[in-house]
Amino acid sequence: MIKNLFKYLVVIIAFVSITAGCKKPAVETPDFDKAELLGNVAANIVLPSLNDFDAKLSALKLSFEVFEADRTLANLEVVRIDWKATYSSWQTIKIFDFGPVLVNGFKGSTGTFPSDTTQIQSNISNGGYNLASASNVDAIGLSALDYLLYQPTALDDFVNNTSYTVYTSELIEKIINELTVVNSAWTSYRSTFIASTGTETTSAFSLLINEFNKDYELSKNAKLGIPLGKQSLGIQLPEYIEARNSAYSFDLLRHSMISLQGLYNGDINSSSGSGVGFHEYLIHLERSDLANDINSKFNSIIAKIDSFQNSFEIEMASNQSELDELYNLIQQQVVNLKTDMTSAFGVLITYQDNDGD
Amino acid sequence: MMGISSLVSKTDSIYKNTSIAPLIIFRIIFGALMLFGISRFLYKGWVQQLYIDPQYHFGYYGFEWVNPLEGSLMYIPFVLMIVASIFIIVGFLYRYSAFVFFICFTYVELLDKTNYLNHYYFVSLMSFLMVLVPANRYFSIDAMLWTRIKRTTTQQWHIGILKFQLAVVYIFAGIAKLNSDWLLDAQPLKTWLQAHHNIPVVGGLLQEEWVAYVFSWFGCGYDLFIVFFLLGRKYRKYAYVFVVVFHFITWCLFPIGVFPWVMIFSTIIFFSIEFHEIVLNWFLKLFKQSALVVEDVKSIDKRKLTLYFVSLYVVIQLLVPFRYVLYSGDLFWNEEGYRFSWRVMLMHKEGYATFYLVDSKTGRESEINNAKFLTRTQEDQMATQPDMILQYAQILKNHYDGKTLHYGNSHFKINNPEIHARIYVSLNGRRSQLFVDKKHDLTTLKYDLKHRNWVEPFKK
Repeated sequence: MIKNLFKYLVVIIAFVSITAGCKKPAVETPDFDKAELLGNVAANIVLPSLNDFDAKLSALKLSFEVFEADRTLANLEVVRIDWKATYSSWQTIKIFDFGPVLVNGFKGSTGTFPSDTTQIQSNISNGGYNLASASNVDAIGLSALDYLLYQPTALDDFVNNTSYTVYTSELIEKIINELTVVNSAWTSYRSTFIASTGTETTSAFSLLINEFNKDYELSKNAKLGIPLGKQSLGIQLPEYIEARNSAYSFDLLRHSMISLQGLYNGDINSSSGSGVGFHEYLIHLERSDLANDINSKFNSIIAKIDSFQNSFEIEMASNQSELDELYNLIQQQVVNLKTDMTSAFGVLITYQDNDGD
Repeated sequence: MMGISSLVSKTDSIYKNTSIAPLIIFRIIFGALMLFGISRFLYKGWVQQLYIDPQYHFGYYGFEWVNPLEGSLMYIPFVLMIVASIFIIVGFLYRYSAFVFFICFTYVELLDKTNYLNHYYFVSLMSFLMVLVPANRYFSIDAMLWTRIKRTTTQQWHIGILKFQLAVVYIFAGIAKLNSDWLLDAQPLKTWLQAHHNIPVVGGLLQEEWVAYVFSWFGCGYDLFIVFFLLGRKYRKYAYVFVVVFHFITWCLFPIGVFPWVMIFSTIIFFSIEFHEIVLNWFLKLFKQSALVVEDVKSIDKRKLTLYFVSLYVVIQLLVPFRYVLYSGDLFWNEEGYRFSWRVMLMHKEGYATFYLVDSKTGRESEINNAKFLTRTQEDQMATQPDMILQYAQILKNHYDGKTLHYGNSHFKINNPEIHARIYVSLNGRRSQLFVDKKHDLTTLKYDLKHRNWVEPFKK
């Protein structure tokens, strides 16, 4: 009897292998390679973005030096334009909060907002500050520059107060120095990153997916939800608006969404999956419905952002319902990315042993 | 099937004595596996991460009174388990050691259902059974110190019940795989296997659809039938090769910790008495002791109470995995009667849960940042399991009730808040569906074992 059972089992296995194997030989999808995806992300997204950020920062430093030598409004305007370009470029870097960016705490020191203006003012007037200390994390970075470059008396302060100018140039210098460290670390981290194709939580692919999702949710909450009052019983909190002084908030949100969509498509300038990215992986897994939904949702989000005519703060005061709609669009995409896409990739998110439930 | 009946139903033979060798070898194996497992748990820093760091724990229904020890005191049960497993190996104060191990292990498992794993449940049951069987009557410090307990034989059921428990794990794991996702769609293996496509040589195969089908069907057949091949002398050797290969593959591909090793080594108990005696004699020789000479294996000590107790245990083990039939709705979706049923590596569920605090007075609502309350693992587990969703709602209610919240110039005194949630879940590679609708005030829903009709129905 046992012998029969054994035979029966072998027959079943053989039968299933053959039938399943023959099911659709014609539409064989090409093999997908995560190593290729990681290689593409490193070569065509991370490193060029770091270089772009580097170039924008250098331009900012240069224009600030020109402004320092000749403190006119016209020169300050050039600094402001360069700062905007730098802050926009940062929206891509901030996604990659792992490896060298994480080790050097680069995301926190460069991108934390809102800034503590009281702390900034006291640093400037008292001197003797240590920009690297944890207590100054809200007094540094691109958001602090938003305040220093745009607050109502900015030009006067630059003209009349040397400490104010020094502080500003030190903030720029700090980002440049940290970027140099991150940049060189990424050059050597690159090969580790590309080789780490496993499914464990510490693998580069898992990190990339997790940070992609985390950054998406961070944009949803920090750039939009918190100022709109989504976490404060509907009480709007304008003091939490990113880049409030420059009124550059919508642009930054737009850049953040475009960067995330670019990473998703494996091509930073793409909205259609032209590079080897998550989109192509989903297509390979025969999930084109999901893949296309994600891109069209990104497109709707960006179109919605473009529909606003005024600054975020003005829209918030007068046009909350439209912003709520934008928020809902962004929130709907979380389900696509965090739940559907992540589970399609079979990425594990827990560090502990697991038995699949 | 000769299998189960040969283990349990012949009431006469379960009292018949047999060589104690398999029981002794199993004691050593079990103790060593536990020593390894607990040491690994400590080494990985999981005591801190799972039991000290979290602010809240998700207790089991009826066991909410089981609480973690304060801070580093939480290491005490683990140290006790290390000591107990060493004592189990050498057979010193064996029954007490097995009891201490069982209590500590079960205590830790009862703390938080976030960490529920079938193999932890298995260890709890096994350590309980180890308390019942006299595995210290030979080749142990106990038998050296108290020579009157020394025996070369033991009752059939002492070994049979351990085999039974292993058989239950396998067979029920096999039965659980008899579902359409597993057999007809090869899910979740299709998802899990393709993720390994960068493994050298075999990686390409793992993203082939037919391979997922072979794995699914083979896994199901393996679980259902392996015990029967292990029981029969003729095929045992080949069956054990399958055991090793099967668990080794699962160990390579999935993060299931020590479970594969527990199964590979535990199933040795299915080997013949002669095999166990050879191994035991090798150990005896190592310690310069004379070889085992098994006395007459006559029947002794027929205790009715033992029979009733063991039968009751067996019946419970056979019924509990089927309790899901008492619930309507989809088992994987609702997870009513899902745990404690050997549903191992059976589904891939991912959820996104947004919780809302609603101030009943003003009708104003806030989104909750789950990370403020839960660890990542807790949040992930909670988002797909209805009972945990209700527990979390209660945690939130208790946190906010009576608090005054200040935002800008406004402040709100929160009294008796409502907690709502909008949750989406994706099951076995499907697009996500609404799992919990925002319309329910979760704090008003009963947390009990009844069918939860507030979970949205599952659409295939």
